[in-house]
Amino acid sequence: MSLSRQRRFVTPGPDETVEELARRAMPDQPLEGAVDAIKSWNLHVFVMRRPPGLMLGSDVIFVEPPLAHA
Amino acid sequence: MFDVIVKNGVVVDGSGSPGYRGDVAIKDGKIAAVGQVSGEARTIVDAGGRVIAPGFIDPHTHFDVQLLWDGAARPALEHGITCVVPGNCSLSLAPLKIADRQRLIGMFQQIEEMPPEAFTTAFEWTWEDFAGYREALEKDLSINVAPLVGHSVIRLWVMGPAAQERAATDAEIRAMQDLLRECLEAGAVGLSTSFVDVDENGRPVPSRFAQFEELDALCAVLGEFGRMLQCVPEFYATDITLARIDQLAELSLKHDIPTTFSPLFDTLAAPENAERAIARVEEQFARGARVWPQMQTRPIDISFSLLRPSLFFARLPRWVRILRQPLVDRLAALRHPETVAKMVADLGPDGGEAMMGRLVARGGDACPADLVGQSLSQIAKARGQAPALALIELSLENGLDVSFLSASAGHQSTDRIGPMLAHPLVHIGASDGGAHLSSFSTYGDTGYLFSEFVRKAGAMTMEQAVAKITSETADIWGLKDRGRLQPGLAADIVVFDPDSIDRGEERPAFDMPGDGMRYVRDATGIDTVLVNGQIAYAKGEYTSARAGVVCI
Amino acid sequence: MPEAVPEAVIVGAEIVAGHDGAAELLVRLRHANGVESPVVLDEETGLKLMAACGASHVDDLAGQSWRRILEAS
Ligand SMILES: [Zn+2]
Repeated sequence: MSLSRQRRFVTPGPDETVEELARRAMPDQPLEGAVDAIKSWNLHVFVMRRPPGLMLGSDVIFVEPPLAHA
Repeated sequence: MFDVIVKNGVVVDGSGSPGYRGDVAIKDGKIAAVGQVSGEARTIVDAGGRVIAPGFIDPHTHFDVQLLWDGAARPALEHGITCVVPGNCSLSLAPLKIADRQRLIGMFQQIEEMPPEAFTTAFEWTWEDFAGYREALEKDLSINVAPLVGHSVIRLWVMGPAAQERAATDAEIRAMQDLLRECLEAGAVGLSTSFVDVDENGRPVPSRFAQFEELDALCAVLGEFGRMLQCVPEFYATDITLARIDQLAELSLKHDIPTTFSPLFDTLAAPENAERAIARVEEQFARGARVWPQMQTRPIDISFSLLRPSLFFARLPRWVRILRQPLVDRLAALRHPETVAKMVADLGPDGGEAMMGRLVARGGDACPADLVGQSLSQIAKARGQAPALALIELSLENGLDVSFLSASAGHQSTDRIGPMLAHPLVHIGASDGGAHLSSFSTYGDTGYLFSEFVRKAGAMTMEQAVAKITSETADIWGLKDRGRLQPGLAADIVVFDPDSIDRGEERPAFDMPGDGMRYVRDATGIDTVLVNGQIAYAKGEYTSARAGVVCI
Repeated sequence: MPEAVPEAVIVGAEIVAGHDGAAELLVRLRHANGVESPVVLDEETGLKLMAACGASHVDDLAGQSWRRILEAS
């Protein structure tokens, strides 16, 4: 059985900001839109986090929207 | 001469094969013979009409603290559990420097909800390293313990407060590797990590500050011992769960280790969640990775009181508006007859019977003792009121400090969950025994497995259910000596009535240090529990046997 | 290639039972590509979101921007 394609994700580097991560993961996109997109795809990281906005090395950060699945 | 013969039962040996009439003989803590046993024994246990099975193994618990004053992990043992795995979710009581104790207590209290006395008066804190904890633990055990070591405490030992602030340096990672190796040599059965837990201030626990490279380096050490990595993934967020499964699979393949994530819940609000996770697990197993999803048997109950706003009322606009007001205004509204009449009217002609009638007054708070355990429907009838009105008035009469339980609010569909529990790649566990003490009972999931999924739903046979929580668990965790009724293995045995084994109703108990409250469930249908050949529980009583060990 | 990333929108929400015995709010978002995914909010955040959206019923959340979730945190 081969692995089916899953939604792509990265993990944040040490002290990486969301802007840096957006630039790394979506280099072709205008920064503001990319940051927005990443936030909207990763609300599990960007809400309910104490302190707010803290990204962790163990976080899963999706760099694309959810995939359609059967 | 044997020490014990358990006689005339139906031997369900843990392998999954059909039970048969027979006996089990024990000598020197080990199983000496299984089948038709002849010979004498110092003690005979009559198992007529009962099943003789290997003791159950509970792979996800937080009994770390409780075991230090209660070596039976009550009430786990009376439910037939002979081995518990504490140290889950990145937290264990060792290795831990004296200076870091307070910080860890905060994290433990967040998960376990234990009173502070549990940490200050209930035991003597004699150790720093893992071997020292093991020694303290082994003094008085009547249940077996297969302890995990927590990633958060390993980080804390090496990095101090920075463990909860930043990524580790290469030197720190090497120090963590050495420390983990020392713990595994001292009897830890693996490493636990968490991607979701927070401390008492809501700050993520230390393990969450680790880069994947750090976890990878620690798994390399697990690989030297072939030991388990346990993790807690995000709940109900399927894509994240799948990402976690892939991370675990990578670690499993690279280091040739078993991994497990717990819990995996089913929910009718997102029915594809558990299905997709299990499908991904199948794909990863097919590649040779070992990523075991742990699924609990019990449904999730939720509870609330009118002291705080609750989502329970999120479909009742007027209730939402009133209950989210500050306490003074909320009380005023609830004391205003016309407002209350409208609130009750919102429930429709049945006065809330359909939506609220099955709520149960839980106790453990200001609820009058005689009402504890009663349904709101019963309470309302006795008061001659509509259920919604009874809920409001009973709350008002007791300072709003009356909590109501909405049973089976999640992970509740037996029809869906039965086949998942029976799935060969689903690991039954995730009880969280010893945690969430003042929120709900984490005991009796094994009884519920038999009452709900074997007897009621027929989702699996008695033999399959026993195998799931004995031999399969032992194999997944590499507990070589346990999980089967087989000569030479440890004599961990439970004798139970297959027709009545079950969990009791949830009830508040005040048996924690400092008279702390927790919710428990008693066992039914369990006759006798033997741990390493000694009778640890029989006829409804715990014995003085202390044969439990740290088992690896 | 469009310049602006289209907005994700809340399409519904349901109460789910949290692992710690509290109710949680599972909010369904439809992303710009038309695919839905859930975000799970704890009780406090879920209630804050409802208040911020002026919602007194979970169904009132439908149609709200994903940004409201961010703001509720
Ligand atoms: Zn846990």
